[in-house]
Amino acid sequence: MNLEKLSALSDDALLTLADKLGLMVPADLERSFLIEALLEALEEDSEEREGALDSSERIEETKYSGSGTDFLETSLDPGWCSDNRYNDTMIRLLVRDTSWAFAFWDVNDEERAQLRAGETGTAFQGYFLRVMEENGRESSRSADHFDIPVGESDLQWYINLPRPDSRYRIDLCCRIGGKARVLARSNVVQTPRGSLAEDSSFMDGKTVELLALSGFGELDINPAEDRHPSRILSGAEVEE
Amino acid sequence: MRMDRGYLALVLNAHLPFVRRPDYPRFLEERWLFEALSETYLPLLRVLRNLEADGVPFRLTLVLSPTLTAMLADEVLRERYVAWLDRQIELAEKEKERTAGDPQFEPLAALYADLYTSDRDDFTILYGRDVLSGFDYFYKKGRLEIMTSAATHAFLPLYRDVPEAVAAQVETAMISHRRHFGKVASGFWLPQLGWYPGMEEVLKAYSVRYTLVATRGALLGKPVPKYGSYTPVSCPNGLSVFVRDARATDAVWSEYTGYPADPVYRDFYRDIGFDLPLDYVSPWLEDGTRSFTGFKYWAVTGRTEEKNPYDPAAASAKAVEHARKFLDGRGDQIRKAAAYMDRPPLVVCPYDAELLGHGWFEGPQWLESLFRLAKDRPGLRFVSLGEYLKLHPENPASMPEFSSWGSGGFAGVWLDGSNDWIYRHSYKMLDRMMELAERFPNETGLKERVLNQASRETLLVMCSDWALLIRAGKAGAFARRQVEDAVSNFQRIYEMLCANTVGTEWITRLEKRNNLFPGINYRMFRRKRS
Repeated sequence: MNLEKLSALSDDALLTLADKLGLMVPADLERSFLIEALLEALEEDSEEREGALDSSERIEETKYSGSGTDFLETSLDPGWCSDNRYNDTMIRLLVRDTSWAFAFWDVNDEERAQLRAGETGTAFQGYFLRVMEENGRESSRSADHFDIPVGESDLQWYINLPRPDSRYRIDLCCRIGGKARVLARSNVVQTPRGSLAEDSSFMDGKTVELLALSGFGELDINPAEDRHPSRILSGAEVEE
Repeated sequence: MRMDRGYLALVLNAHLPFVRRPDYPRFLEERWLFEALSETYLPLLRVLRNLEADGVPFRLTLVLSPTLTAMLADEVLRERYVAWLDRQIELAEKEKERTAGDPQFEPLAALYADLYTSDRDDFTILYGRDVLSGFDYFYKKGRLEIMTSAATHAFLPLYRDVPEAVAAQVETAMISHRRHFGKVASGFWLPQLGWYPGMEEVLKAYSVRYTLVATRGALLGKPVPKYGSYTPVSCPNGLSVFVRDARATDAVWSEYTGYPADPVYRDFYRDIGFDLPLDYVSPWLEDGTRSFTGFKYWAVTGRTEEKNPYDPAAASAKAVEHARKFLDGRGDQIRKAAAYMDRPPLVVCPYDAELLGHGWFEGPQWLESLFRLAKDRPGLRFVSLGEYLKLHPENPASMPEFSSWGSGGFAGVWLDGSNDWIYRHSYKMLDRMMELAERFPNETGLKERVLNQASRETLLVMCSDWALLIRAGKAGAFARRQVEDAVSNFQRIYEMLCANTVGTEWITRLEKRNNLFPGINYRMFRRKRS
């Protein structure tokens, strides 16, 4: 079916698709070769996507049976939503896992233009994100922070956070005349724990055995840091 | 009186996202519901009826998500399902003719003729098109415990900073459950088992008594749960949290070693919609594009394109064997865990309901065999989650950690480079919905209808299935359009309300299309004041 769909596309649309799939093709490549290359790339992409899914996702996917050629459709028409903005100055932070968070932000066009124009004697030197670890007291700022420079056209970023089980906030900032100015402040997020909440060496031996029987060893969970990891990992093994 | 050595709790999560397009004569994605009805929900009810007729004791916990419940109760979809069944029966007859005289394939064509005819009889005659009444019968008898789930299957940890959003998902679900089943749901299934500390407060506020979390979330809990995953834990506010069992999960879900991967079972992917000439199958394809028809004649065989013909008798025997193996495995777990416990261990086995039957064709037979075989296993008792809490109301204190059952154990499936753009829109919609609820707290008539529709669109955009499908690629374009539709519908409503002009015709059309949650009240989005 992909062959039929591709054959119906204009040369320009084929080249756009090739670009989206990361194919380097000479502009004068014969149409039939281009379609062949695209089919191959689409197949590879589909395999990669399949490979990225775990068993439960693949099983869940069976609920949604369809033609399976949607990537082509998505590539040809990425939709209007993915680039849409709301033209307000804001930043929001979402936790993904123990060490990654996703930030999305925006700066109002008028404010953006004013910043770019600069104030008398000051020069706009770009935007950056200031990532701060919160120490639990509201509105207090920890000295522990780092900055990530971002481009004017950037509107989102995945941020590697230093520690699990910690609270973070991000300020969307710009630098003007060497000074940092906060444009928007995110919500505070908490990264999840990546290891046991207690020292296993002080746990009841029965609990240690039950954790092992619960499949602790296969869950890729760290025992509490620097605390006798072998104590948990060598617990009773269960054979099916 | 028998002594219970251990408990098994099977939990089936029946859920599909809301897809209903009466503005199209036929709509491809509505098939998701029809296929699940034919291969999972109706066969599951047949299993329960068989067990009841034979006096086999069974206890099962079933999640019926609010979007699925809304679709099962919808007249348009019920009508369309009957029409779809008629087409399937017609194809089955045609297949019987095509395969006539073929000892391997004619019986398979007959198998599908029987399946769809039974489905039609059950749906139209036995249940009068109301499948929910079939589940309600066992619910009222106490054999089946029905849980509800978030209104539109939102992955709640990604909305934890907007308590109004999480509360709206829970409140709408609880109202939907009471509307359809006449009682308050005791159990609440967290979509994708997405839990975060703080969730217990929201659930408790709506009188929920229990929920479930992934093994990882429980083991990372604080304090570490005394009995691991073998009992529920109790949050500081008293909410009970059951724990998914990792090994029971693997036995069924694992792609390569799970039961559904056995070579003799029916292969899901090989379908006559792809195998037979297009002009033959095209009347049964929604838009003439090759797709699944539901007629599958081949066995899993292995990781090869050369499949063996499907042998239903061998597959049935295997389902019984796997049921026995499953009980052996859980029995072994219980025996080992019991050595370290002062009460009978509990093994909680939650699965997607649609895996049984639709994904794994022999799943309902496996389920039926589990209950039949367990009858002769002294000490092993199937319980529903609520029943367990009656037997053991006191459980170790612990607060589970943020977690899910998705790959990686946290939010990675629903927040990655392919689907992260959704959240800019859903958060903006939530923000504006709360603004509208504050600005118009006492509206009636048309304006109230408009605000209620805005609430529906806000809930719909939060659906985690769209993020999953966009990530997976399959049906990704459809999923993206569902998000875009909700965003665009909401924007139009917001602009209408800001301009104080309402397009009556348009809003009526939208209400008729996205008609879920008839009793919705937009005021649930008013800002929570601490």
